[in-house]
Amino acid sequence: MCTNGKMTVVGESRSMTAKPKVYALSTCPYCKRTKRFLDQHKVAYDHIDVDTLDDAKQDEVLEEVEKLTGRRSFPVVVIGHEIIVGHDEDKLKKALKL
Amino acid sequence: MTIHEVERVYCPVCQAKFKYVPGWNVGDLVICTVCGQKLKLELHGKEWVGARPEKGQEKELRERIDEYARLKGYVFNDMKEELIEGLLEKNKRFGDFFCPCRMEHVPEYMCPCKPTRGGDVERNGKCYCGLFWKSK
Repeated sequence: MCTNGKMTVVGESRSMTAKPKVYALSTCPYCKRTKRFLDQHKVAYDHIDVDTLDDAKQDEVLEEVEKLTGRRSFPVVVIGHEIIVGHDEDKLKKALKL
Repeated sequence: MTIHEVERVYCPVCQAKFKYVPGWNVGDLVICTVCGQKLKLELHGKEWVGARPEKGQEKELRERIDEYARLKGYVFNDMKEELIEGLLEKNKRFGDFFCPCRMEHVPEYMCPCKPTRGGDVERNGKCYCGLFWKSK
């Protein structure tokens, strides 16, 4: 992903190797836009559609989301140490160094 | 009791009651002035209740949101069709037109959701999911 030749901050290097993770709702158009944006930029990512999980798993993931962001708002994209709430292409570009 | 003494109509979408207009009769199609839903009037005992003649159909949703925007003077933006798609998916998967951007599938989040009807658009310039916008 880091193709622009800029130096990677050492402290972030380990986490930057992890795939971005997208927490989404299957019906949310902003979540779809975020996934589409990542697809278009050929970014490999993991994603969870929280609303399609069974109850137990859903509770667990929602707790995770609340811990990360302090709320239940989607999409949430975790890129290394960066947490982006909502569909924000500028923030995605910056975090992914696109 | 005559029909004219019954003054309010219950809407099953927003779960609120709105004013009965003298002259309305069983079977008439009326618009809920709270949420914009088209209703077919029924009389349950002494209570006027609105039925949803096109329940769950895309037409019902489109008419409701257009009517609600008209009633409130709100406008849409270019996300409208994508949000409608999400609302249709909610209906397919969870049984009604719940807000596509919320986790919970409860009556108060049927579109237009309760926070929207409670003034979110006036306060924030838009509703939670960004379907309805305050006109400039």
